[in-house]
Amino acid sequence: MNRVGAIAAAQLRLFGRSRLAVVALVLLAMLSGIAAITGATQASRMAADRATAQAAANTDFANQPDRHPHRMVHYGTYALRPLGPLAAFDPGVDAFAGSLIYLEGHRQNATTLGAARESSGLIRFGQLTPAFVLRVLVPLLLVFVGFAMIVAERQTGLFTLQLTHGANASELIGGKALALASVAGVAALPALLALAWAAAQSPAEAGVAALMAVAALLWLGLWVLGITLVSARARSAQSALMALVLAWAVLVVLVPRAAAGVAALAHPLPTKAETDLIIHQELRALGDSHNPDDPHFAAFKAGLLKRYGVARVEDLPFNYRGALSAEGERLTSQLFARHAADTAATQMQQHRLLALGGVISPAIGFAQASMAGAATDLASHIAFLDAAEAHRYRLIQSLNGLHTYQVRGADDAARNKDPIAERQSRISARFWADQKPFHHAGPTMADRIAGMLPGLAAMLLWAVLLLWQLIRSGRQEQP
Amino acid sequence: MIAALVREWRLLAGPARLGLVVLAALASVAVALGLADVAATRADIARVVALESRETQAITGFAKGDAGEFGYYRNYPVWRAPGDLAFLAPTRGDAVPAVMRIRMLALEGQINDNESANPELLLAGRFDFAFVTLYLAPLLLIALLHDLWSGEREAGRLAALDSLPRARQRLWSPRVLLRAGGVALALMVPLAVGGLIEGTAPLRLGAATALVLASLLFWMLVTLAIARLPAASATQAAVLAGLWFAITLVVPAAAHLAINAAVPLPDAAAIARENREEVHAGWDRPKAETMARFVALYPAYRDQAATGTAFAWKWYFAFQQLGDQAVAADSAARDAGIARREAWAQRMGWLLPPVKAAQALQRRAGSDVAADLAFKAQVRAYHRALREYHYPYLFGGQPMAGADVAGAPGFSSPVLARP
Repeated sequence: MNRVGAIAAAQLRLFGRSRLAVVALVLLAMLSGIAAITGATQASRMAADRATAQAAANTDFANQPDRHPHRMVHYGTYALRPLGPLAAFDPGVDAFAGSLIYLEGHRQNATTLGAARESSGLIRFGQLTPAFVLRVLVPLLLVFVGFAMIVAERQTGLFTLQLTHGANASELIGGKALALASVAGVAALPALLALAWAAAQSPAEAGVAALMAVAALLWLGLWVLGITLVSARARSAQSALMALVLAWAVLVVLVPRAAAGVAALAHPLPTKAETDLIIHQELRALGDSHNPDDPHFAAFKAGLLKRYGVARVEDLPFNYRGALSAEGERLTSQLFARHAADTAATQMQQHRLLALGGVISPAIGFAQASMAGAATDLASHIAFLDAAEAHRYRLIQSLNGLHTYQVRGADDAARNKDPIAERQSRISARFWADQKPFHHAGPTMADRIAGMLPGLAAMLLWAVLLLWQLIRSGRQEQP
Repeated sequence: MIAALVREWRLLAGPARLGLVVLAALASVAVALGLADVAATRADIARVVALESRETQAITGFAKGDAGEFGYYRNYPVWRAPGDLAFLAPTRGDAVPAVMRIRMLALEGQINDNESANPELLLAGRFDFAFVTLYLAPLLLIALLHDLWSGEREAGRLAALDSLPRARQRLWSPRVLLRAGGVALALMVPLAVGGLIEGTAPLRLGAATALVLASLLFWMLVTLAIARLPAASATQAAVLAGLWFAITLVVPAAAHLAINAAVPLPDAAAIARENREEVHAGWDRPKAETMARFVALYPAYRDQAATGTAFAWKWYFAFQQLGDQAVAADSAARDAGIARREAWAQRMGWLLPPVKAAQALQRRAGSDVAADLAFKAQVRAYHRALREYHYPYLFGGQPMAGADVAGAPGFSSPVLARP
């Protein structure tokens, strides 16, 4: 083992003498530094902006004057997707997923906002974040630093000379790999420090952050193994470099995009406009509130009259209009929930197809694991959408409950014509302050860790394959 | 010359030939995916338009000619019809919808709606023709040309080859021409086939082809300049790969950060809240005050603006419009800020010719930020036309007959086929 260390130390001295390697490492360190600092400041500013906007929406709602509760159904409120502290390391899908939803009665609105819609077209070239540095930049740096480390010595005859002098090929290869791994460690340091700093903002995140660091080191470890393997087997330094740059371009740049294209084609998503129109169609079949003779609402009314033993809705012990609103909301929300579940299911199918692509390119596995850990992945976004819809339904039905039990039916019926009835149909502002504000803590720690597992498994599979090939390479070397 | 090219093709190594074939295959797949995407977007638009007209029929059933009911319930489809070069960089599945439904209520709460797209696929980026041109083709070009001289030098043949009479014309030029021409053909043939299928206007197809060639020309000149240097082929390959990496990935990503930091935008969440506050405050304000403010905008309705105590649709739509009016300046400032960010990105493109070529391709495909903003402006103008079509019915009080319902302005898709 000592000899491996000595070989690694010698190789590191060689790396240190290569101007190209040193310049590249310094440039990378600068980029990592920029990514870490901007990532941290942007994420904390965005998180603060969203918290402020959420608080403002909550305050606005609580401070509304005495009103008819149905006015509040239409006034609605907003839900903002919270941003966890680890988003500073990997903002994931955040820029491409809307962060704001307007919650109101009768409707399930689309998300709005999102950095992708408020930036220049450059955002499509990738975002400079610590996770991007680790996923895209560091592997290419390692390629440039390490492609020649074995093959160059072989071309000059030095490798064979060392073997004839009693060196063991496995130890030589191991030492070179160790040296490259140290470079990887140094190159990854700024990004990992950014991760540690982000985790330090919230100690509860430390465990998952550690697992994300493991994922990053595993990812870079794959490159160390792959580069050592190619450098050990290539015929010339040039062909080693070509093969490695090609592998990088295919695995990091091409396959993730191609896999996304395949996923979109294999599991097409309907447009929001079409889904809304289909919901309207289905709603008319279920119960048309505009049709006075609609069978569903007629049965609903007859059921209430029978249960309370009265002949007219005016004789019910509560405001029939409120009950009718609640029933209408129940019907529409059922459809919203079903179609939202369909959309989410299709998106998760696309996600799983991508995860399968992680077997071809571990870059996908690393990206998915990192996002899942940072709570900035697709599943986290869907969890937010579900939480927002659940809150919307609870809030609207609570307001419909106030409409049913706090507003007298007679006032309600006359409010559009009689100013006194109108005034009496308004209920106290304190009811608004009593409504629970939207709160979404994000996915649970267990869900986040579970979301990391497929990506980690894909990377482990690759690690085993590369290690096996590298050991074979070491055994096959003859002095 | 032909003989020299044939000879160079015979001399081309197996992996290099394979590289050209793979690039042509990838470009073809990208074009095919783009064509499929464009067709799917057109089908999406057609389905929404058809479903919407059935929805309008249903509303006609219960609205009973009441212009207010129509104004409240009726939605109007608006869309971005893909142009004849959209297949180069299609937008299906983007956060910006290709088709959406708007109604006569305050527009501010509708116009920023996102498509229910999968953000994970957007994050990965698109596999389209623009991507193949920007990222993959230069890599192959670098691989084929970087060791033009150093490869022969390392094989010990360079001095002998250079001593041939007219080596430049007989050897090096055909070699460069075959290799660079091969890369160009691998892109241009799929592009031309795609253009033929789409029926792209010849001039526009020619412009797109010129952009692709310009991008390749840039990389060819850079590669040959580095290849001329007396360095080892591996060093040349490393320097070129580093340049490619900086130009296509690092500098644009860093510039994106810098531009967003340099050009702040008004807070969109605050604009949305302010718009809602203004609209809903309408319910609590005296009706006469609302109508007076509306009449200041639309003096033609001065004599029809009076309301009683009862609910009136004209009053309802008046405060909807006042809500949009209240945030119009902020909203315009926000769009202007986005346009300013894009202008900086375009300026930066001049420093990085391949990025400029990609931006120009996206512009011709109608999938750039300017196209999003143009679509928004078009939707605002359409919303205004819809309101102004309804106002005479709302204020005059006459019912909307079948012909009046059918006569509402239709949306005409913005022309994305910009020069």
